[in-house]
Amino acid sequence: MDARLLEILACPICKGTLVYRREAAVLVCRLDRLAYPIRDGVPVMLEEEARQLGADDPLLER
Amino acid sequence: MRSHDQTVHGQFDPQAEAYRHSAVHAAGPDLDYARTLVAGNAARPEQALDLGSGAGHLSFALAPHVGHLVALDPAPNMLAAVVRGAQERGLRGIEVQAGSAHSLPYRDGTFSLVCTRYSAHHWVRLEDALREAARVLTPGGHALIIDVIAPDSALADTHLQAVELLRDISHVRNRSVREWRELLGAAGLLETHYRQWPLRIEFASWVGRMRTPQTHVAAIRSLQASAPREVREALVIEADGSFMLQTGLFWLTKPPHPASGPRRPASAPP
Repeated sequence: MDARLLEILACPICKGTLVYRREAAVLVCRLDRLAYPIRDGVPVMLEEEARQLGADDPLLER
Repeated sequence: MRSHDQTVHGQFDPQAEAYRHSAVHAAGPDLDYARTLVAGNAARPEQALDLGSGAGHLSFALAPHVGHLVALDPAPNMLAAVVRGAQERGLRGIEVQAGSAHSLPYRDGTFSLVCTRYSAHHWVRLEDALREAARVLTPGGHALIIDVIAPDSALADTHLQAVELLRDISHVRNRSVREWRELLGAAGLLETHYRQWPLRIEFASWVGRMRTPQTHVAAIRSLQASAPREVREALVIEADGSFMLQTGLFWLTKPPHPASGPRRPASAPP
């Protein structure tokens, strides 16, 4: 995941900052508790493709 | 029951290769003019975004004239076609991302150029998409919008929308120039240039590209056969069903100062 791309990407719903979780290949929006998948290196920034995270999901940890 | 987004996906994802090789999409005077406008811009756009990139023909035309370009499309096979096409052409600086035009996954003021070609007539939330395009543009940045333009005549317009829907069930609407101007003005984008070109649609390849079912092809032919003179003349319908569309190109600017930003229609509440 290119650092420059991470800089321009935002959550498509709240436009907030995303956190890159390399080990899970996802971009996480903490506010909406959504994990957007990165498939074959392509960020999939579609709400219907994102995984809803539980409040205690480790992907939300700081 | 499928949503509109799923219908678009179902229509286009399997057809990515057909679009990659489509002559109608790979070339055109609008593409040449778009290239001239972007290359002739005083400041080279550093970050550009192609909305609903499809197989990437607009991205390929503009990539040599911008710093970096992001091709955004909801269909993964289309994005794969963009990657292959960029490699074949030796183009660097093109990234692909999956997303929807009406909910852009970017921060405010990210791009100095936002462009789109032959995609907006599939957008079910065009107003939201144009507002989003304006949001992600830098102040003073440019928008380039190319799409099929609906005829001014309501009669010809209704015929066109009917045959477009029969051909492709994910079709939403072609807008007239007047409708486009209202929508673009409401999004806070200022028009600098507008140009229009005739685009001849060869019937067999037009329905072939979309795998239009035979029952729908027959319905289109039936509508064409019974179309009144005004419609035949406006759309220049030929014996084999081929006809003429109009491609429109808008070149717009996001005002550099927020004070001259989005306008609301007079009837809307403040």
